[in-house]
Amino acid sequence: MGAYILRRLLLMFPTLIGVTLVTFLVMICSPGGLRSVIVSHEGLMDPRQRAAVEKYYSKKYGLDKPLPVQYLLWLNKVSFVGVKDAGAGWPASWRFGFKPVDLGESIVHHRPVLDMVEEALPITLLLNGITFPIMMGISLWTGIKAAQHRGGVGDVVGGSLFLGLWSIPQVWAGVLLVGYLANRNFLHWFPASGLHDLRDEEMNFLPARLVVGFHCGWLLDTCWHLVLPVVCFMYAGFAFSSKLTRTATLENMAADFVRTARAKGVSERQVLYRHVLRNSLLPLITYSATIIPGLIGGAIIVESIFGIPGMGKLGVDAVFDKDKEMVLSTTLVATVLTLVSYLLGDIAYAIADPRVSFEAEGT
Amino acid sequence: MSAGAAPITVPPIDLDAAITASFWGRAIRDTFRNVGACIGLVWIVLLIIVAVLTPLLANTEPLIVKVNGKISWPMLRYLTPTDVILFILAAAVLIAAAFRRVSMGRRAMAVGAVLLITIPLAYIFVHPPVTVDWQEYRDLARAGRIQYELMAPLPYSANDYQRDDPSQVLQPPSRAHPLGTEANGGDVLSRMIHATRIALSIGLVSTGIAVIIGVAIGGLMGYFVGRIDILGMRLIEIFEAIPTLFLLITFVAFFGRSLMLIMVIIGLTTWTLEARFIRAEFLRLRKQDFVQAAIAGGLPLRSILFRHLLPNGIAPILVTSSFSIASAILLETYLSFLGLGPVDAPSWGQMLNQLLGVAGTFVWWIAIYPGLAIFLTVFAYNLLGEALRDALDPKLSR
Repeated sequence: MGAYILRRLLLMFPTLIGVTLVTFLVMICSPGGLRSVIVSHEGLMDPRQRAAVEKYYSKKYGLDKPLPVQYLLWLNKVSFVGVKDAGAGWPASWRFGFKPVDLGESIVHHRPVLDMVEEALPITLLLNGITFPIMMGISLWTGIKAAQHRGGVGDVVGGSLFLGLWSIPQVWAGVLLVGYLANRNFLHWFPASGLHDLRDEEMNFLPARLVVGFHCGWLLDTCWHLVLPVVCFMYAGFAFSSKLTRTATLENMAADFVRTARAKGVSERQVLYRHVLRNSLLPLITYSATIIPGLIGGAIIVESIFGIPGMGKLGVDAVFDKDKEMVLSTTLVATVLTLVSYLLGDIAYAIADPRVSFEAEGT
Repeated sequence: MSAGAAPITVPPIDLDAAITASFWGRAIRDTFRNVGACIGLVWIVLLIIVAVLTPLLANTEPLIVKVNGKISWPMLRYLTPTDVILFILAAAVLIAAAFRRVSMGRRAMAVGAVLLITIPLAYIFVHPPVTVDWQEYRDLARAGRIQYELMAPLPYSANDYQRDDPSQVLQPPSRAHPLGTEANGGDVLSRMIHATRIALSIGLVSTGIAVIIGVAIGGLMGYFVGRIDILGMRLIEIFEAIPTLFLLITFVAFFGRSLMLIMVIIGLTTWTLEARFIRAEFLRLRKQDFVQAAIAGGLPLRSILFRHLLPNGIAPILVTSSFSIASAILLETYLSFLGLGPVDAPSWGQMLNQLLGVAGTFVWWIAIYPGLAIFLTVFAYNLLGEALRDALDPKLSR
């Protein structure tokens, strides 16, 4: 097990290098390259400002050096291990080791990108962290029920309904949810945007009954703001994973070991939850690792619709501001998140299925 | 045994033809026995018809107009090269479909040849006016100087913004505007009709690119296992690790927002699924006897790859590409929704963008109709994909 995880970790590094290479190539191949920041947030920069920005980029990325060197310089900047304070005397004055990550500086906000990512990342993680367990829980339940009553009305209707749900574009669902459930002209049940109320600073943490009346508190308020985004986030993936659970459950229900369990008199409940479910989890774990990039990408849409200041919104705003380092950093961070979630998925798989090992993969 | 039994004659069967015909024949029959697939196909065919006939369906310029006794054809003058190419292509396809006795391959080649000749000719000879005076005939009609005119069923072009007329901005559905108007005074239905072209072409072109890249890389991986396979797998992992939408907006941020570019980029970022499928197929096929025989017989590599492996391994790609088209359309919608889509082209997602954020106003006709069009198109391709998968691989249809 330990060896498996270690090897899996080591395999992650070539991918990580490749990802940085792809992002770097996008940056370099773009018309004008990194230096071409001529339009700022407000419009044209004045020549002095522009010269200053160009000088900053030239110095920082070594734009006068050949491409591979530029790549290595950039890689050294964004990674957390590498060369610390590279002096002129090579290589005597170079020291390798852990160093602070440098993702560059946002030209528009005049702040280090890393700081802004640190603010936005927990919000996206929170959104994903809430969505994911709810989604998996519901889809397990509906999938197993559909498999139990295979061919029944619920199964057939549910099957078509899920394909329909899966095809609904997230933008449409989001716009309709906001428009009908969070609009003063229709039903104003939910807040339309943001993650907190405007007065969240003066709120208590927990709900309380005060003299002036019921006080909803910070926690409840945040949950209230999260309802619509989470629904918008969840429905498509939930439809798909439910279908997957159904297929896996059906497959296992027809297996020999289930027949044996039934024959020796194990109760139907026990058969389902001890024998079938554990085996049905495996494809679901694989799938859940593969939808993580979808969820992280979906954060772009959901955060834009609901005005949530997470990674997705950071990325889109940066594109509009032509804030190149910011765009690259959000992509890089999203990718690292995806890689980590793949890793977690594989580890979860190895825990759920003790047969997994690298030796078995080749056969 | 009865004496009158006629001698049984077995007609010679072209076994090879029977088998291939029956596989694809069965696949097509099984696919369209599925009600969902039929509905999906009907919707897609409808979209294709609308996309071809766009200038005849929604156009501000009248088809025929008689002003001061002079007859002119303004609609023809304003046709773009794309319109002309699509008309000729559609005509060629219809004519080719009528010649049932000519083989499929020849008809396809004829249509391709027509297309190849038409494209440069259309761009050389068709020059619509660069600036359009949308009000020209409207003003003439108001002045009562038009004796006779024949308009398109919907007399508004997609970019015919009537911003200056407050009575035309954000109007609910009415007789003049069946689906209402949007924030710039454009007609929603007209914009939706013009957007079908983008939706269809994005799906087809980007999936075509993805299939070509995926089949090339996946096929090589599946046939030359070993080092190439490992390298290709790492490449696939790299592209799968970057969330597609993030990669897309990065590309758009650095390269700009033209339609062709967005198509190419979607293709470049979504080929991994096709590659995985074709790799799995080739891995399975290369161990089979007929491929081993082809290798042992010393056939050239190109014959093994293109005549033995590819025709037998291409079926799953059909299924994947159906789903890929759906997801490409979704990706374009998302980009347009974020305001990063093709510049100045009407698209379904771009209309939804007007409802976004604090500045946007929620009006139900813009929210519902373009969204419904996206949903139906994506749903149609997904239904087709499901039916195809069930027909091609009965094992999966549970």
